[in-house]
Amino acid sequence: MIIDGSLSDLKAVFKGIKLIEEDPHHPLGNSGRVTILPKTEQEISSILEYANTHKHTVIIAGGGTKRGFGGLLEIADIQLSLAQYTGIVEHDPGDMTLTIKSGTPFQVIQNHLAPYNQKIPLDPFFPEAATIGGIISANDSGPKRLGYGAARDNVIGLRMVYPDGSLIRSGGKVVKNVAGYDMNKLFIGAMGTLGVISEVTLKLRPIAKYESILLISFPNSSLEVISASAVKVLDSLVEPISLEIITPALAGKLTNTNQYTLLISFEDVKSSVHYQEDVIRHMMPEKTTIKSLSEHEANSFWNTFYHHQPHVYTNVSATEAVLKIGVINLDVIKLLQEAELIGDSCHVSIEAHGGLGTGICQMAIKGASADVLSAIRLVRETAVQLGGYAIIKHLPFSLRKEANVWGNKTASQFLFEGIKQKIDQNGILNPNRFVGGI
Amino acid sequence: MAVLKINTTDKHIINLANIVDGPRTILYKKADLLAYDCDGFTIHKHLPKAVVFPKSTEEVSKLVKYCSDNGLPFLARGAGTGLSGGAIPINGEVIISMVRMKKLISIDLANRRAVVEPGFVNLKLTNSISDKGYYYAPDPSSQYCCTIGGNVAENAGGAHCLKYGVTTNHILGLEVVLPNGEIVEIGRNGVLDEPGYDLLGLITGSEGTLGIVTKITVRILKNPEGKQTVLAYFDKVEDGSQAVSDIISAGIVPAALEMMDKIAIEAVEAAAFPVGHPKDIEAVLLIEVDGIAAGIEEQVNQILEVCRKRNVREVRAAKDEAERERWWANRKTGFGAMGAISPDYLVQDGVIPRSKLPEVLSKISQISKVSGLRIANIFHAGDGNLHPLVLFDARKPGEIDKALEAGSACLKACADVGGTITGEHGVGIEKREEMRFVFKDEEIRAQTNIREVFNPNNLLNAGKLFPTPGRCVEIKKELKSLS
Repeated sequence: MIIDGSLSDLKAVFKGIKLIEEDPHHPLGNSGRVTILPKTEQEISSILEYANTHKHTVIIAGGGTKRGFGGLLEIADIQLSLAQYTGIVEHDPGDMTLTIKSGTPFQVIQNHLAPYNQKIPLDPFFPEAATIGGIISANDSGPKRLGYGAARDNVIGLRMVYPDGSLIRSGGKVVKNVAGYDMNKLFIGAMGTLGVISEVTLKLRPIAKYESILLISFPNSSLEVISASAVKVLDSLVEPISLEIITPALAGKLTNTNQYTLLISFEDVKSSVHYQEDVIRHMMPEKTTIKSLSEHEANSFWNTFYHHQPHVYTNVSATEAVLKIGVINLDVIKLLQEAELIGDSCHVSIEAHGGLGTGICQMAIKGASADVLSAIRLVRETAVQLGGYAIIKHLPFSLRKEANVWGNKTASQFLFEGIKQKIDQNGILNPNRFVGGI
Repeated sequence: MAVLKINTTDKHIINLANIVDGPRTILYKKADLLAYDCDGFTIHKHLPKAVVFPKSTEEVSKLVKYCSDNGLPFLARGAGTGLSGGAIPINGEVIISMVRMKKLISIDLANRRAVVEPGFVNLKLTNSISDKGYYYAPDPSSQYCCTIGGNVAENAGGAHCLKYGVTTNHILGLEVVLPNGEIVEIGRNGVLDEPGYDLLGLITGSEGTLGIVTKITVRILKNPEGKQTVLAYFDKVEDGSQAVSDIISAGIVPAALEMMDKIAIEAVEAAAFPVGHPKDIEAVLLIEVDGIAAGIEEQVNQILEVCRKRNVREVRAAKDEAERERWWANRKTGFGAMGAISPDYLVQDGVIPRSKLPEVLSKISQISKVSGLRIANIFHAGDGNLHPLVLFDARKPGEIDKALEAGSACLKACADVGGTITGEHGVGIEKREEMRFVFKDEEIRAQTNIREVFNPNNLLNAGKLFPTPGRCVEIKKELKSLS
């Protein structure tokens, strides 16, 4: 631990690198006694090397959107902020690949790519604030994962700074690569416990020529009806980019219709999108209301969607939790139905959506602290009974100590610990932020 | 029927036989072992100590534990179609053959997944679900006989992975026997993003060095409503390469985009599935688009237009399914077709950024001139995955060496333009030294460090994937002595 007074040492060591000292107490924790903002990979490397030699703990930060995601250490010795480590390293439009510095905000990158009719095929929450490094470290994904895959399917190369300051590259700049172990996979979703991502290389997709969203509201329908409709969609010829079910509370907020709603989106050439919309219209049961949003309206809907979760980096006072839950695809419906009941019994509000082709649900829970914790426990029990899991993507620091962020350990825990031990012997990086106390 | 008996005093053979179903399920006599001295990479050969055929995860676990406790090197083998030597027992391993574990355990169409044993043959999965309108996407050329367990080990690709991804993008869950015999389940119930490091992604493509996969949950996909294949002949290879880039830049994501050069065309036309490609063109492109039928015509027209702008000699869409299938049979048997024009061939597997295609092709043609060996080129051009096929005659003294050198030089050319040394065949023993073209020593050490977590005694498939420090020169000598 940094003892008081050694801060001047740090300043001397990191001459020229921006260093901030401010009140480290923050409701979401994951702070540092001192915040260091490197601008180059070399600076990241020298900071880590110094921290490793002196056994100082380091918490890694980007845009701050995931500050409430894991972590039982309120204040580390150093908060390494990548907010000033930004920019595009290489964009090759012909090869459709892009290399960027990890602190670059997602939306900045998409804006750069748009004139080329290209995009990173990921759809994270809070795209204007979330950095590409944070999105990949936390493996954040949105509804379009059904059509485009997740970070693990789109990242083709990483430059990692290891805790000892050494630079390790994984993958490369080509879209197909089996040379050696697929180390990219190890670092994606590792919550910064194995190294600091310096640069990310991704494969890009063309921006579709046309897009639309169908919002199908089911008035008073039993979930069996919704489930049967979803199965029909999945077994049909349509190729949706997302297929989400949205709970009434969230649907009310997003569409002003307080009913279970299916969100089906398409991206393709115009003729194909319209054809698929027609197929869906003929497939849906009577009494459903179908609203179609295309192009500009669709964009604006998505923008609202990616901001519906608690604005964790602007409003940190409320007791709100966000869960990510994984179950077998169609069990999403059972899970969300159960969550509605849990919301009522625990006196909390629950807004949730889940992908019927991916099994990934996101759930925002709001209420009194004790009630939020009970609801989390019950939702997790339901997920586990369905053969899945629930992890806590966001929760204030004081409650994280009481709730188990990652759930129970699995039989693979000893392998996780072995990997962590090989790479970060001194345990300096994001200590206790990941599964089983890693 | 005569009762088989174990006819050896080797206690390990006897003990291994007792773990499985006795003498019927173990091979240990030299004559029987010869078939297992190599896989699809035939330049390097070594006899295993024995080949055992377990029928269950528990038997695999017991075999592994026995080998581990007794210090016997061991490795797993599927159909033996690997092209980089990953299943060659270079340390006299006990081979654990997975071919008896070939059940299709379950299919869940509504949740789009299937569970198979590792010995289940790739194409059989698609055949089992195609009547319901579903398929399994990874389609390596050997899919009619290669096993899904082997595909996981190698992270196999195929012609259609441009749009749909390689094996790792389709694996949802694995049951793995670790090198100490312990059984772990990763991606339980095929649920995505199980908390923890992504061991699914790490183990897939680890070439059988981290564990032995005994059960696999895979994603299955719905057949696209429509598909159309376009064939284009180019007089100049540069025009063909440029057309590839133009198609992708136009915002089209083809399901497959394949290219063959002049020598490759000569071979496929002389082999079992000729389709009448002209012999005087420099490149043929095969472009497949699939998806919603309503959108396909527009894409096909765009492709035709792009090709015309690039001075195509002839371009047209397949007139019916039969013609489409003939074109694909001609392409998919491309490697084997080399046998029609050369006694031996060595296939390489480099990957480059698409835009470097003309540059690398011209480099490969120089390599061919210098070595005096003909090199045919078959590519998955859409994703920049080149398969230079070095043609040689092993009977001529020194030609194996020359072919190996030329193959290695092709990989160097790929690495030099920011590419890599293997896109889908794996490193195995073939490309161990070439790993140095793309990784620094400490990056290789970072990978072997991970191996140590799983495989601390390095008894499982040792000597594969990574160069041995300081052994560069010795290996070259070793290869020389083989000729």
